[in-house]
Amino acid sequence: MSEQEVFDKIAGLIEDHFQVPAAKVTKELNFKTDLDADSIDSVEFVLELEDTFGAEIPDEDAENIQTVGDAVQYVLDHQNK
Amino acid sequence: MKIAIDAMGGDHAPEVVIQGVEQARDELQDVDFLLYGDENKIRPLLKNDSHVTIIHTTEKVNSDDEPVRAIRSKKQASMVLAAQAVKSGEADAMISLGSTGALLAAGLFIVGRIKGIDRPGLMPTLPTTDGAGFVMLDVGANAENRASQLVQYAIMGDFYARDLRGLKNPKVGLLNNGTEANKGNELHQETYKLLSALDGINFVGNVESDSILKHTADVVVTDGFTGNAVLKTIEGSARTILGLVKHAIMDNGVKAKLGGLLLKDGIQSVASTFDVSSYGGAVLLGLKAPVVKAHGGADAKAVYYTVKQVKQMVETGTVQKVVDYFQAHPATKA
Repeated sequence: MSEQEVFDKIAGLIEDHFQVPAAKVTKELNFKTDLDADSIDSVEFVLELEDTFGAEIPDEDAENIQTVGDAVQYVLDHQNK
Repeated sequence: MKIAIDAMGGDHAPEVVIQGVEQARDELQDVDFLLYGDENKIRPLLKNDSHVTIIHTTEKVNSDDEPVRAIRSKKQASMVLAAQAVKSGEADAMISLGSTGALLAAGLFIVGRIKGIDRPGLMPTLPTTDGAGFVMLDVGANAENRASQLVQYAIMGDFYARDLRGLKNPKVGLLNNGTEANKGNELHQETYKLLSALDGINFVGNVESDSILKHTADVVVTDGFTGNAVLKTIEGSARTILGLVKHAIMDNGVKAKLGGLLLKDGIQSVASTFDVSSYGGAVLLGLKAPVVKAHGGADAKAVYYTVKQVKQMVETGTVQKVVDYFQAHPATKA
């Protein structure tokens, strides 16, 4: 999956979960400070990432996913593992 | 209808769970039970396996496990498997007597929220002096809530009170530190305004914690932190007062014991008014299917009533009504 495809899928998840139009999602968007995500939002989003990309994200790694760009990079780094 | 049961959760599991399930099974012929837990412990307790399927697993969530970590790491735990069965559609609802935190996590992260519900709320049914009872939410699923979430609780509580408590026009009250409209902090004042403007809800205004047991409302709406404190105050006060009465009777000689004997019927009548086991368990309201937490120390009778409660929720389609409502009223979202 290309970087753009991963980004588009994640933007779709964010639109669905945080009610932010996918077109307005940028890589710099921070889950906590920009999307007002609390701990429940964060876990739900990580689980949605897991379901969407078929990968398991350990808690230690999940804590490092702060921005949309972090999520995209994580998926790209792990998509063939 | 299929109900997934976490057979290993609770202080007296799986014994009381099996007893309660069998009592319900013998009465309700149209319910199939999926029992998740250690077959070696469950099988010897079963009188027969009619309408019962055991899904064997030895893993379980412990009360001291960190909830989210347990749900994510113990994938074969009885509670997790039961929640997965609900998620996949294999079961219509689930019941657990296990860790409340873990069940909240399983409900939220496995079963999932209804679209439009920001934060599910935990809702027990509590007794009132007139014997009718009332529901209160949230009693601790969340540490803090927004006004829009309290409005969602009012709507869900109203549906539940109509479907499960048989009320045509349930009285919805906002728990506050006074009955006047301007009482409380910003959260309460904003919630008051939103509830006053909400169509279809019989909002009776603010209610105080010293009056809710007198049935000032059928649905009491509050944030999770306050609701939890109020619930524990009620439980703790009741236990303390009962303990004091018992000591006053037993520790003060023959005259006191004789007085106690004369009062026995009256005391038993009070006890039966406040016996909450027939109300079933606390519902985690706002999820895509009924997820109900029975008390960890519940007996078989409470499990039996919790099964009946869940069956009624499935039959009346309470969850679907909430889904439909929030689809039709997206403006009530946060």
